[in-house]
Amino acid sequence: MSLPDLLHGLLFDFTLRTVALGAAVLGALAGALGCFAVLRQQSLLGDAISHAALPGIVLAFVLTGSRATPVLVLGAGIAGWIGTLAVMAIVRGGRLPEDTALGIVLSVFFGFGMVLLTWVQGRPDARQAGLDTFLFGQAATVLPGDVALVAGVGSVAGLITILFWKEFKLLTFDPDYATALGLPLRRVDFLLTGLLVVAIVLGLQMVGVVLMSALVVAPAAAARQWTDSLRTMVLLAAVIGAGAGVTGAAISATARGVPTGPTIVLVASAVVAFSLLAAPRRGLVAEMLRSARVRRRIRADAMLMDLYALSRQHVEPGHPHPVATLQAMSGRERGVSASLRSLEARGWAVHTEGDRAEHAAGRLPGASSDRHWAITEAGRIRARQLLETGVGPRPGPGEPAEPGSPEVPA
Amino acid sequence: MERADRGARRGDASGAAIEVNDLTVAYREQPVLWDVDVAFRKGVLTAIVGPNGAGKTTLIQSILGLVRPAAGRIRILGQPVREGRRSVAYVPQRGSVDWDFPTSVLDVVTMGTYGRLGWIRRPGRRERAAAMEALGKVGMEAFEGRQIRQLSGGQQQRVFLARALVQDAPIYLMDEPFQGVDARTEAAIVEVLGDLRARGDTVIAVHHALQSVPEYFDDVVLLNVRRIASGPVQEVFTEANLRTCYGGRVPFLQAVTERPAPATGRPATGRPEDAPPP
Repeated sequence: MSLPDLLHGLLFDFTLRTVALGAAVLGALAGALGCFAVLRQQSLLGDAISHAALPGIVLAFVLTGSRATPVLVLGAGIAGWIGTLAVMAIVRGGRLPEDTALGIVLSVFFGFGMVLLTWVQGRPDARQAGLDTFLFGQAATVLPGDVALVAGVGSVAGLITILFWKEFKLLTFDPDYATALGLPLRRVDFLLTGLLVVAIVLGLQMVGVVLMSALVVAPAAAARQWTDSLRTMVLLAAVIGAGAGVTGAAISATARGVPTGPTIVLVASAVVAFSLLAAPRRGLVAEMLRSARVRRRIRADAMLMDLYALSRQHVEPGHPHPVATLQAMSGRERGVSASLRSLEARGWAVHTEGDRAEHAAGRLPGASSDRHWAITEAGRIRARQLLETGVGPRPGPGEPAEPGSPEVPA
Repeated sequence: MERADRGARRGDASGAAIEVNDLTVAYREQPVLWDVDVAFRKGVLTAIVGPNGAGKTTLIQSILGLVRPAAGRIRILGQPVREGRRSVAYVPQRGSVDWDFPTSVLDVVTMGTYGRLGWIRRPGRRERAAAMEALGKVGMEAFEGRQIRQLSGGQQQRVFLARALVQDAPIYLMDEPFQGVDARTEAAIVEVLGDLRARGDTVIAVHHALQSVPEYFDDVVLLNVRRIASGPVQEVFTEANLRTCYGGRVPFLQAVTERPAPATGRPATGRPEDAPPP
């Protein structure tokens, strides 16, 4: 299906529009709540919750015999919540670190779920067909009623996030201070984690238990690169999540047999990769440009010092020197002219064109095409300044780094 | 019953800002604080000193209800911790949070108003004005919009101090406020401490630099799992007590005990350059 067809379908095809709407709400919710999980360094919690939900889905089907989405989502939610409590209990027990607890809960619950799923699929019961789509998600199985469920529950979860914004922010940034202020930390933690569980189990039908956590982590990771404000980060993550959800769901729903989860993950990962590369300030490209700029400046400073040293060997400080001399002094073959030109731009050096006649007479060394460079008076002042402060990156605005106070050694 | 009587006999119950009785805290059966009794006087600056692992931070965290004591009783202005901690403003160690968190200086300081705002209500113009005022007190008003990652260590410390000032509480608990800060920050903190004392507020600070204890503080608690000594600096900040507390290895002992402790009305402009070199 071509892109125009896809866009046309999104706008006018009822099924596709329904699926896209559900994916948008879901992606926005998962992306927004994922910000808190990522900032609390609980990125893996989403993975544990979604995997832990699998036995709940199968058990809900076995117990009720129903394949209705609300029933399965409820089962997933209960199992996911039990898994989360198990993680919290293991961590509070103090015997195992959090990542180990997450790993244990994830694999134990998921393994149990897979055993149940295999057993159910072996039963002579036709209605179990399609339960395994919960592994990788299948947007095509989503019905308008399911989307209504996602939109309804998702809106409530979003509203709660807005209402308790200040509490969630404080819990995420400084939990000890929150407790000292009298915030009932445990309850706020339960609420925030509960919302994450809700967002995840709502997404299982469309995205699947295996990859759902990507929709939680990836938008937040991407959004973090672009902003230093929590509100902007959460909004941006919601937009990225919605975008990834709609794109992935649309591709999967229109191309037969393509599971939705992996498609959404690919789209979200592309956004993360782009953000890591291209974001201003935090992005890789920006960082490379920044360090190249610093390197250039340090080289120019070093070149200025060379010119200064040369000028002190002559009675007349403005005596010009060929590029070759400066190349030899700095030990650099390339980039010398660039450094000199940048010094010239700042008024610290001047050049004279190599005079053919002078060369012919042997009064000037070097090739005839060489420019000759001399330091200016401003350049000499600058060089003496550099001798005081040293060559290197300048401290930013504000105060210098702290020198440290006298301490009692350990 | 018996416990309450002991508490009343031991400390001037009316004059203590915080009273700690028989406090024992253990991590995995390892005692961190052992049967500690301390009464922190109202309206004075108290330093808690002691070697690493002495339980200084644990004492602070017990008072705030951040750790669960194995035994003991804590009263804040006569109230148990849960109610009493509303009267306490906390300045945690700078390293206790992720400074790469996406938020601004003003936003962090405004968090000090969250306690009195209560659930759901959002900080408004009044809260932000209070936060700006507190930033002014620590000389950081020019940094209000700065992302917190871009601050130096000393500036981070002053932001945490401003956040506590916004709480406008009668008691301040500070965990190593002078740890690794620049001279300018140290001067700013000392000035704030002076202002708080002038207002009659109580300050309790974990402190590492022994040589500045007599200059900055009125009272001192020497702690090493047990309480070694506590009281006015002139009385208990002695060589013998320090030796007991630090196990005989006190590098600055000479400088500390030879230093004349000014009696009253110390200027609030003590600068670290004045401190004797190690």
